[in-house]
Amino acid sequence: MSPSRVDNLVVGAGPAGLAVAACLRRRGASFEVLERAAEVGSSWRTHYERLHLHTAASHSHLPYREFPDIYPTYPSRQQIVDYLADYAREFDVRPHFGATVQRASPVGDTWRVETARGDWTAKRLIVATGYNGHPMVPEFDGQAGFAGPIVHSKAYFSGREFAGKRVMVVGSGNSGAEIAVDLFECGATPFICIRGPVHVNARDFMGIPAQVLSLRLSKLPRWVADRIGVAASKMRYPDLEALGIRRPSKGPISMIVEDGRIPMIDIGTIDLIRQGALTVVPGITSFDREGAHFVDGRYVELDAVVLATGYRSGLGDWLETDALDDHGLPRVFGAPAAPGLFFIGFRNPPTGALRDIGQEAQALADHIAKAN
Amino acid sequence: MAEIDHWQPVLRTNELRAAPAAVKLAGRELVVFRDGDGRVRALDDVCPHRGMRLSLGHVEAGNIVCPYHGWAFRGDGTAVVPPARNKHACAGRWDAIERHDLVFVKPSGVTAPFPRLELDGFHHVSTFRREIDAPVELVLDNFIEVEHTPGTHAFLGYANTDDVVTTVRATDDHVWVRNVGPQKPVPRLLRPLANVSTGDEFTDEWTTWFSPVYTVYDHIWRDGSTGALKEHLRSPVFFVPIDEHRTNLFVAVYARRSPYGRLGFNMLSYAAVGLLSRFEVELDVEMVENIADKSTSLAGRKLGHFDTALGKARERIERIYRGQQPR
Repeated sequence: MSPSRVDNLVVGAGPAGLAVAACLRRRGASFEVLERAAEVGSSWRTHYERLHLHTAASHSHLPYREFPDIYPTYPSRQQIVDYLADYAREFDVRPHFGATVQRASPVGDTWRVETARGDWTAKRLIVATGYNGHPMVPEFDGQAGFAGPIVHSKAYFSGREFAGKRVMVVGSGNSGAEIAVDLFECGATPFICIRGPVHVNARDFMGIPAQVLSLRLSKLPRWVADRIGVAASKMRYPDLEALGIRRPSKGPISMIVEDGRIPMIDIGTIDLIRQGALTVVPGITSFDREGAHFVDGRYVELDAVVLATGYRSGLGDWLETDALDDHGLPRVFGAPAAPGLFFIGFRNPPTGALRDIGQEAQALADHIAKAN
Repeated sequence: MAEIDHWQPVLRTNELRAAPAAVKLAGRELVVFRDGDGRVRALDDVCPHRGMRLSLGHVEAGNIVCPYHGWAFRGDGTAVVPPARNKHACAGRWDAIERHDLVFVKPSGVTAPFPRLELDGFHHVSTFRREIDAPVELVLDNFIEVEHTPGTHAFLGYANTDDVVTTVRATDDHVWVRNVGPQKPVPRLLRPLANVSTGDEFTDEWTTWFSPVYTVYDHIWRDGSTGALKEHLRSPVFFVPIDEHRTNLFVAVYARRSPYGRLGFNMLSYAAVGLLSRFEVELDVEMVENIADKSTSLAGRKLGHFDTALGKARERIERIYRGQQPR
């Protein structure tokens, strides 16, 4: 069977893919969208139940369509799912579902894309598969002998199944911090393993979302923004060290921009630690059948472990290009990273990933419209 | 599960000062105090030594000291030895935590979910507690129907329940109700303060949960002609039995609008909304306390269609909150 031809081929029907599709639709450009799942916004559908957007609704919607007026400042996971489904309908985006891309490679001045459901030839390939495609799963000494389940946060939906259990969350990113709260709220006894230094900041200051403040800060020189970020954190969390959480020497804004590491946005995690409802543990040395040993010599009995250890893009697995950096992430956005190759939605700036996607999508669509 | 085996509020955070506080939860007497780290702690309000009320004592170096013989106990109930002569003495321990400006307790060792209030992104307006001289069922009854709003309430609710469309849905663990109709008359002076006008489309929507017994309300006002969203308050309300005949009502009011909106006028508006909420709850209490027949059974009562949620709530209170097998 000969491959189907299309001008613009978008891979992924999450927020980034849908935003690009909408922008292309507005410019009258032809496109097709491939999606490995059976619905749009599949990551948001399978994220843990308690998740809310950490950035403000007013600054996080996709191009041309605001969130419904009834959505609160931080919309819930389900509200985002509904929004994405409505968005796809409104811009008549009909992805080819179940079309997992197995391989994409440049052939002449086109891209050849092989999927589980047929092959494509495209003038331009727009990769919108997101930075959370594949779970990163660390290995610990003795973990095979641990009696309880060890699950990645990708497979975690709710703490209800852990009620009454002693559960350790590994990782102090936003998923880890929120899953620990979820476990407490579901009646589990939670522990959070914080291995290295981490910045902590409140989601809002006196009712103003941190993201909105970040938008202001991002206009300042980075060292000034860093100092302000640390000062704000110290004001809100003077006791962080006493709680077992070290601040990195590098400023929070620099860490986001240079290392792509966003601070832990506190949605109640620190308060639970202060009140003894959530216990901080340091790095793990090894597991045994009943629990884990830690670098400070402590031993904690555990029934289950949740690995909130993040994701990798997985782009290198299927995309044949030298446009990726050492972390397997693209370096160029809003413009071709290689001839006919575009990336969108792989950044997580302090000003919000969804907002960034909206801006990238417009820039990308402009680029494509001009080229036509 | 019994009545006490849930995370339930017993005090507002700022009701707990330096002195220990005596509270009553479903007939059980507890003492609540702050330890040396400022953490809130709860114990049975009875000294394991000779049965004295610990709440009449004082807190010293983070430990609670019995006023009778001076025995001291840590926040986890263990005795400080000396002066306690018996190192096995241990006061009955409860888990305690402060969240959402309330002090919650549950018996130590009991597995219970923490009530989820979905307040992410909402702004705090007001939190208050009201002791009501009526059993928990009758208090809840009042708060899960809107038929009383024309007569009982001053501003909150509907002028005529004939204009209200009510939908009730129940699942195994919650009861959801939505009412939509025109807002009853609002005095001109209050309109800018409450951001609500006569004839706005008022949606009064809520979900009642039963471990513990609480309801999260959404009060949504839209412009009667344009449909534009004007105001959205989210209000969690806890119904906590003090004993068989009395109930602690905890009401929190949160707003979607930020306090800085309308050039800071919202702050003034918040103050007004806080006071109005209190006032409206007083009007509810006036009615509920004056009910002649305070038996909690619905059997024999002649109920109307606005009372659909009441029966569903009764069944879930017995089954989920009290842990009784369905008869």
